[in-house]
Amino acid sequence: MTELLIDPDIRVWVFLPIVLITFLVGIVRHYVSILISTQKKAEITQIQDSQAMIRARLLRENGKYLSAQSFSMRKNYFNNEETGYFKTQKRAPVAQNSSAMLTDMVKGNFINVLPMVVIGGWINWMFSGFVTTKVPFPLTLRFKPMLQRGVELASLDAAWVSSASWYFLNVFGLRSIYTLVLGENNHADQTQAQADAMTGAAMTMPQDPKAAFKAEWEALEITEYHNALKNIDADMLAIASAPAASS
Amino acid sequence: MNRVKTTQSKTGEIIAYSEGAIRNNISAVEYCRTSMAAISGCAAGILGLSGTLGFLFYFLSVFVLWILVLVKSGTQWRKFFINRRNLLTNQFMGGLCTYVLFWTFLYGMAHVY
Repeated sequence: MTELLIDPDIRVWVFLPIVLITFLVGIVRHYVSILISTQKKAEITQIQDSQAMIRARLLRENGKYLSAQSFSMRKNYFNNEETGYFKTQKRAPVAQNSSAMLTDMVKGNFINVLPMVVIGGWINWMFSGFVTTKVPFPLTLRFKPMLQRGVELASLDAAWVSSASWYFLNVFGLRSIYTLVLGENNHADQTQAQADAMTGAAMTMPQDPKAAFKAEWEALEITEYHNALKNIDADMLAIASAPAASS
Repeated sequence: MNRVKTTQSKTGEIIAYSEGAIRNNISAVEYCRTSMAAISGCAAGILGLSGTLGFLFYFLSVFVLWILVLVKSGTQWRKFFINRRNLLTNQFMGGLCTYVLFWTFLYGMAHVY
């Protein structure tokens, strides 16, 4: 492998600035998104619905610890043909407030897409065509287009990294550093937002309550009651008497 | 937040864990892991390790961190973590990503030019 001699000025004026720019842009993005994001307002009916869904699920899972009467009483509350909650609540599909949706979308684009395009384009334009560094491990030729974007040299070893690719390596590699610097739920990284949406169980509202109600109604309808505590008195007596008997 | 998670030990005893506390512990370990990956990446870059040696250094650092966490939690580790092996293997690839970035960065700064 032939060694390349690289001008040390590239280190000071290309290599280091790219790292700093990527990092600082991530931090700026975090604070800008805090600044312009609005708290999502939840309709009271939506929260009511989602809580009802949660209660129905809990009943399905833990109903076996109730007495038969309590179970059917609760089931009746949800599933009765005339008066059950899932039957009577006729909710229209959540009509998205179109203007609110639009501003949300614009903001999302503004925070996520715009910096990527603008900064990426700027880095490409400003620092194009530099060979910046070498990864300290050998790579196969297949990595060449990935690591040497902007430097099309057939004879260059695959381990060398061009400036544009160094930027992308930074974008992906700094993710966990943001977690370290900005705390758990930061906005510096856009993939995080989707993961957050999954975890907030009580706050997520079904998009179409009618379909969700129908599914929950069906699930509850086929749930049969089995008392988990049927022989509990005998079991407890057996446990209590066993040590006494053995001693 | 205060949901309870239960596991059954070998002797059939049921141990209850607080979900929030366990998650807090895991995220604390996650911070340590990221820091360790970044620091060991810096060390590897400055030392000029290359090729397989650098990756071995990463494995070593992950292992050392595991030992350190276990020493810190002492004999009472069951109080803080559900599973000892997960402490070692969680987020292995994410840490590797950070490690490689810092390794490449410092290697470039110190040895390429």
